[in-house]
Amino acid sequence: MIEIENLHVAVAGKKILDGLTLKVEDGQVAAIMGPNGSGKSTLSYVVAGRADYEVLDGSIRLDGVDILEKSPAERAAMGLFLVFQYPLEIPGVATMTFLKAALNAQRKARGEAELPTIEFMKQVRAAAAKLNISQDMLKRPVNVGFSGGEKKRMEILQMALLEPRFSILDEMDSGLDIDALKTCAEGVNALRGDGRSFLVITHYQRLLNFIPPDVVHVMSRGKIVKSGGPELALALEASGYAEYAEGAAA
Amino acid sequence: MTGLSSKAEEEFSGLLPADASASAKLFFEQFQRAGLPGRRVESWHYSDLRTRLRVVPPVAHAPDEAARGVARHKLGASERLRLVTIDGFFAPELSDDFSGVAGIEISSVGEAEFFGGAADPMLDLNAAFSRGGFLLEIGVGARVEPVIEIVALAGAETDRSRFGRNLIRLGAGARAAILETRDEGFAGFGDSALFIELGEDSQLDYACRCRETAGVEVQTLNVMLAARAKLRAVSLLAQTPFLRRQFFVSLGGEGAELQLSGAAILGRNDHADLTMVVHHNAPACVSRETFKYVLGDHANGVFQGKIIVPPHAQKTDGKMLCRGLLLSDDAAMSAKPELEIFADDVACGHGAAVTKLDAQQLFYLETRGVPHIEAEKILIDAFAADVFDTLASEGLRDVLRQDLSDLLGEKEPAS
Ligand SMILES: Nc1ncnc2c1ncn2[C@@H]1O[C@H](COP(=O)(O)OP(=O)(O)OP(=O)(O)O)[C@@H](O)[C@H]1O
Ligand SMILES: [Mg+2]
Repeated sequence: MIEIENLHVAVAGKKILDGLTLKVEDGQVAAIMGPNGSGKSTLSYVVAGRADYEVLDGSIRLDGVDILEKSPAERAAMGLFLVFQYPLEIPGVATMTFLKAALNAQRKARGEAELPTIEFMKQVRAAAAKLNISQDMLKRPVNVGFSGGEKKRMEILQMALLEPRFSILDEMDSGLDIDALKTCAEGVNALRGDGRSFLVITHYQRLLNFIPPDVVHVMSRGKIVKSGGPELALALEASGYAEYAEGAAA
Repeated sequence: MTGLSSKAEEEFSGLLPADASASAKLFFEQFQRAGLPGRRVESWHYSDLRTRLRVVPPVAHAPDEAARGVARHKLGASERLRLVTIDGFFAPELSDDFSGVAGIEISSVGEAEFFGGAADPMLDLNAAFSRGGFLLEIGVGARVEPVIEIVALAGAETDRSRFGRNLIRLGAGARAAILETRDEGFAGFGDSALFIELGEDSQLDYACRCRETAGVEVQTLNVMLAARAKLRAVSLLAQTPFLRRQFFVSLGGEGAELQLSGAAILGRNDHADLTMVVHHNAPACVSRETFKYVLGDHANGVFQGKIIVPPHAQKTDGKMLCRGLLLSDDAAMSAKPELEIFADDVACGHGAAVTKLDAQQLFYLETRGVPHIEAEKILIDAFAADVFDTLASEGLRDVLRQDLSDLLGEKEPAS
């Protein structure tokens, strides 16, 4: 379970999150929708532990443990995962090397032994096949020259391998064609259950058709301004964010 | 010069044996006329040897049993065929027996016997003092498959001045892969010279790893390539208190190709100066100079590259690239790439850039559970390791990759 309370965050001296409170229960899929610039990606970066974001007030607890003082890697080892809105390209680092480093680092942090290379390869191949990721892509440096959709599939591949307890999907659907969207959503749904929870950030109902949420939150100007069931997303699709615009929410 | 000789210059003068040969004396006079190079000499501007070399340690003698013991201890076992030098002297007792290897001839050298190369005071000083190097010849048309390793070790445990001077010669059409491991320790002063002569159509992969270099050390490489010869050379430098590694290359025959690359992994107060002068002395030669510097703590990296293309060297293709990765605000990088082009039909270029680790890439790796220090190592490795790719010999590439990864394993966390 993740509990975010009264979170105030500034980036480069500018206040972006303004008293955000949000709870995602174990096993729950929560969606966040909100206008461009409302702070959705900022929220996901802060939860993941980006150092240049200044937390002015509030707390973030994962399974009851305050994670604000923990490094991004420690948070990952606790089961946190972020699907980046814009995954990074890392020239010179082979994808397999990267995947292995990530997997083994997390195993090590949890006191587990390194995965034997053969077993590792087997797991990667199996996960890649499900996501239509070619062997050729796995041979290239991390995300380098990948199309937008390929990058997103690679994010889901990492998620499938790391089996995080709590995942934030920041616009996983952007850049995906219909088929890839289905494949990726299947990847997400395969992890559902077992107490795993998801925070799905999106602009579009279409993604939520594939990954039906338990709750929907509306974010505006750095805080959650409305919460409801799946029907809230449908209402937003029809009417937009006008009612949450400046002044209206006050 | 300044007119005033430095204390170190006077000490050298006292160290030259009275019975030195006429040619040794001549070289020494040449050295004296130029003096120890320092800031005021343009090509030595960033490496002020004159200031750094205050005291000249005694000149190393040919190794005795004690010296061989010290070197043997450090040498350890290896699968590779090895040629060992101790304090700059060829040590057949510690080297493998090459007599059974077809195409290889190794002989001892007394005083300096092979000359040429650039006009450089440190090369002259080496010629005046050097004794007992080796000559490694790969015969015409010979294809030597296994990697040959040259290991330079110290015998003396106290400060010594070392003047190794060796020659590698490949006959026409010959091929070889040579690994040089320089591990003489931090003590003393070094002024070594390596001559590489490549006959027509020959190909050499040459990798040099400098592990612990002397408190003050100069390494000079004189390289000559005949027509269509190919040299792929990589240097991996680390733990260099004060190192100048300089290359004087002559692409002397039509269609010769040079790949000159290197990575310097520096920390503490390390100073590493990689300087190269590449003469395209024939038409249609290709040269690529690519150097990467990883600079932590108070390290200082220097790159000086000069490509010279005389009027007759049409169709020259030369490109120079130098990149620094600054891990600390106290580290520094100086880069001076130059082109001197007198031919009109050429494709030449150079670039230099200094960057820091990409915070976003680091964050991305960390969100996947890779701890900060490990994430840094992954990115540093990615930055530096691609200079090894120029080598055709997979064996050499693997050695350097492993060395780099070991070096980064020891690396202190960046502050
Ligand atoms: N480094 C930064 N410096 C200054 N402003 C920033 C920085 N990073 C983010 N911001 C600002 O913070 C605000 C929130 O950005 P964020 O990326 O969190 O929005 P978002 O809700 O994810 O938008 P979108 O739907 O377009 O992805 C924006 O106004 C953005 O310009
Ligand atoms: Mg966003």
